[in-house]
Formats: sequence, C-alpha cells, structure tokens
Amino acid sequence: MRYEIWLAALTDELRRHGVGPDLAGHVVAEAAAHLRDSGEPPLRAFGPPSAYAAAVADSIGGPAQRARGVVGPVRLRAVDITKGYGRRTVLSGVSLTVHAGQVAAIVGANGSGKSTFLRICAGLTGADGGQVELHGTVGYCPQAGGTADFLRADEHFALVGAGRGMPRGAAVRAGGRQASALDWTPGGEQARQLSGGTRQKLNLVLAGLGDPDILLLDEPYQGFDRGTYLDFWHEVWQWRDRGRAVVVVTHLLNQLDRVDVVLDLSAGGAGVAA
Amino acid sequence: MTRTLTVAEMTLRETARRRGVLVMLLVLPLAFYLARRGDHLGQSIRFVCLGLSWALSTAALFVGSAARSLEPRLRLSGYRTHQLFLGRLVALWGLGVALSAPYFVLIRFDQHDVRYGAIAVIMLLGVLVAPLFGLAVSALLPRDLEGMLVLLTVVGLQMILDPAGNAARVLPFWYSREIGTYAIDHTSVGYLDRGLLHGAVTAVLLLIVVAVAFGIRLRRRPHVRMV
Amino acid sequence: MDQDRRAQWLRGVLDLCVLGLLARGDSYGYELAQSLQSAGLGVIQGGTLYPVLLRLQRSGLVTVYWREGGGGPARKYYQVSPAGRTVLAEASGQWSAFAGGVGAILQERTAP
Repeated sequence: MRYEIWLAALTDELRRHGVGPDLAGHVVAEAAAHLRDSGEPPLRAFGPPSAYAAAVADSIGGPAQRARGVVGPVRLRAVDITKGYGRRTVLSGVSLTVHAGQVAAIVGANGSGKSTFLRICAGLTGADGGQVELHGTVGYCPQAGGTADFLRADEHFALVGAGRGMPRGAAVRAGGRQASALDWTPGGEQARQLSGGTRQKLNLVLAGLGDPDILLLDEPYQGFDRGTYLDFWHEVWQWRDRGRAVVVVTHLLNQLDRVDVVLDLSAGGAGVAA
Repeated sequence: MTRTLTVAEMTLRETARRRGVLVMLLVLPLAFYLARRGDHLGQSIRFVCLGLSWALSTAALFVGSAARSLEPRLRLSGYRTHQLFLGRLVALWGLGVALSAPYFVLIRFDQHDVRYGAIAVIMLLGVLVAPLFGLAVSALLPRDLEGMLVLLTVVGLQMILDPAGNAARVLPFWYSREIGTYAIDHTSVGYLDRGLLHGAVTAVLLLIVVAVAFGIRLRRRPHVRMV
Repeated sequence: MDQDRRAQWLRGVLDLCVLGLLARGDSYGYELAQSLQSAGLGVIQGGTLYPVLLRLQRSGLVTVYWREGGGGPARKYYQVSPAGRTVLAEASGQWSAFAGGVGAILQERTAP
C-alpha cells in the first residue's frame, strides 16, 4: 500500500475512533516522517490503518470523558411497563428514565422484549400497564423497513421533513449532511435498489431528520460494515453532545462503557435502569 | 395542507415508477372496452366503466399496502392521520381523472345515441368511489393477496348479479349499472337519481371506513403522554 | 528468540527503555527505534513504538516539541520530564532487583 493511500486511510480511521483532529494530524505527520526516514512499507511498520488507529485511540484513553452529571431535563420517562402476548409475559414492570444529553442502551437476549419495549416508548405498540412520558419530538429507527420501495432518498427526506415542518430544500440538505456522516452520498436510486446496509443508513438518517429531541434506535446497524458501525456510534455520541436523548437497543456490548444508562432485560423481562 | 399535498405528490411519484401498476391501469379498461365493442350498443361502455373502477381500486389497494411500513414513522414525524389517507386519496383521485378523461373522449366519438352527460357522471362517481374502496380494503386487510381476492369477488359479483335485485345494491359499483341504464337505454330519470344517491352514500360510507380504520391503526396509544 | 515471549517482555519494559534513552538526550521516533535496535532489543515497529510514546506523553513522563528538519518537514521530538526522570530512577532500581532474581533462578542447575 502506497504511503499516501495508507496515510489517508489512517486519517479516516483516527476520526472514526474518536481521536480529535489536532492530535490526529500530529499522529499522521509523525507516521509520515517515520516512513520517510525508515523507508519501510507502511503495512510492515505500522500494520493496517484501522489497527494502528485503534492502538492510538487506546493509548490516549479515548475521547475526553464528559463531566458526568451535566445532564439536561428528562426527555423520556417510562414507568412500570408491562406487556404480555396471550399468557406469555414479555415485560413486567420495566422502567427507564433518559435525560437530554444521555445515551441509554437496552440490552438482553433475543426475545427478551427489547424491540417491544422501544416500540412501546415510541407509542407504536400498546402496553398492558405503565406510563410513558415523552418530552419533545421523537425519531424512531426500526431494525428493518420504514422506507418506501419506490421513492428516492431525497424524496424520503422531503416527505419526512415536511412532517417536521421543514421546507423541502432544507430537508434534502439536512438529509444529505447526515448521510455523509455515515459515509454515504445519496444518488437517484430508489430505495428498493439500495443494498441492505445502505437502505438501513437511509432508515437511520430519516430517524434523525429534523433533529428530534429523543432518538429511539432499534439495532439500526444491520448490514453495516465495521467502518459504518463506528460511524454510527460516532453519530450517537454527537447527538448526545448536542443535548439529545438517545436510546439504542443493542446486543453488542463493546460500546457499553461509554453509555450513561444500561437497561438489561435479560433477567426475565423485569428491569430498572441503573 | 402542505403535508397532505406532499403525501399526494409522493404517492404519485411512487405509482409512476411501478410499471406493473401503470400497465394494468392503462390496459385493463381498454381490454374491457374492446372485448365488448362488437356486442349490442352500450355493453362496452358498461364494461369500460367497470374496468376503470376495478383498475383504480387495485391501484388504491397497492398504494395502501405499500404505504403501511412508512406510516408509523410519518406519524411520529408530525403528520396527522387524516393528512395521510387524504393525501393518498387526492393522488388517486387525480390519477382517476387523468385515466378516465381519454376514455370519455373515446366514448364521445366512438359511441352514438347515448347520453354523454350521464356517462360523465358515472365516470366521476367511479373516480370518487373506486380509490375509496381500494384504500378501505387495504386498510382492513393487511395483505395484498387477500385484498385482491376481495376486489375480484366484488367485480365478479357486479357482473353477474341482476342489477334490479336487492342484493346488487350492496355492491359498491351498483350505481354504475343503474346510471348506465339511464344513459344507454334512455330510461326515466329515476334511474339517474337512484344511481347518484347510491354513489354518494357509498362514497361517504367508504370514507368513514377509511377514516376509522386508519384512525385505529395509527392511534395515539393511551399509555403515552406527550409533554 | 520466541516472538511471543519477546513481545510479552517488551510490553513490560519498552516504556522504561524509551525513558532511559530519552534521559540521554532528546530524540524522535525513528531515531529511538534505531537506538533500541542497536541496544539489542531487536526490531521495534512504528506501530508498537508510537502508542507507547503517546502513553508516556499522556501520563506526563515526557514532553514534546516540534523541530524543523533540515530540508524536510518538522519532526516531533520527545524530552523526558522531571516526573519521567523520577520514574526512571525508581524503575532502574526495581529492575535490577527483579532481573537479578530471574537470572538467579534461570542459572540454577537442577540440584544434584
């Protein structure tokens, strides 16, 4: 791999791993100098860009931890949610409170009711008991679906944006910006012509369109490659830093040390978020 | 208003890209017309009106089913329920007018000795009622296939049942045959009046069905409180 | 030398060795790698060395500055800090004791 390509890839990967732009610039410059001095091929001296970027991110201890406790008002308060199908109780007495500027993760085994709980919070499914308070606008991203086969991406943006009261041009531009954060440039293809992962990117962008106060995301990363998966979490942290309340249903644990609230539903459907 | 029109616009864009639906919309009524053209006077008119209604209902059925996956998200984005189904209806009504107009012109020049005004009334009622019927079926039956079966049954019954009998009045497109008798066989104006009444009542009833079905499906759940 | 064991040993001492080299004079990445190699530690790849330097910088044991290279772009130079010298002094004593103990065990023949 030639120097320039490797260095460009390194720049990208450092950004994905949350390394700040100043430090990233230094790291890349230093690596470039080393490669010039040693004359070694980059892959031998440093390894693949993603691995080196991960090692760098590790060494600096990740992005600076925000001061915990600087949270905003309550955005989502679910109290004592109960839901059963026939004789099977899926959720019994589940509660969750999420403030502005917090990220909550809902974890649990398959079938533990994570998606059902999220849909109840969004108001898309009825609950047998309990109450949900929503303080602000809501964006929801299902695991699949939520798009129209025969419409193009910009038409989706216009349609959803109109609901939020956005003029068409602004909605399309906002959608394009959010899409590029996920490494995607929407073209003129209809949704049915997009690959599975790209269609999910559209789904995620639509959830965040119009900057809702509360984001409810149900494992939206189906079909994402590793880079896009990291981009997704990058967006989640950005949303948090901008004061949104984000709830993510996930069964992948490696990002859990950076979320503020964890709701574990695997213990028989009862849980109170820490 | 903007929201309703945006829904209508996107419905039209979607439908324009569904080649199967377009072909059916264009070809089916024509096939019905030509199949009966050799028959005695007026049969082709009756059949083309039925064909137009069937094609429009089917288009409405597909529009309704395709929209389902997007509707919860649109609701959360701020659309009111009535904007969602009215938007689809406006698009389908517009489509209906665009589709029926050429056939009216065709009848105007190809068929003689019929009351053209009454035929225009049949077509307008068809444009009004057929999308309502198709959308209502899609709202009540979640899957396309079952909806199609219902449409087929209704159209089949429409052709078989004796329009003078009471059973036939229950069918949504009965007005079409009644006014058709007035237009083609030059009967008394009572036929026209009965047909108009039936068409209007059917339209209102179907609109209520659509509004209620959509309203229930997309209702605000009682356990959620928006602050 | 068994590469896995070498990697394990390096993980334990590489930061101290870097501090030790910097105590003799400021240096930059590539030069440090050369020095480590000629001191007998074998080839140290950039991917291993620079994260260590970053950690030392993070914990305040070294400071950095950029110096214009002659006819080339600027290089990042590392300088051991007072805290670094303290750590180095402590570690030297501890290492002598530790290495001595290990050496004694490894030199012992099985008792007759």
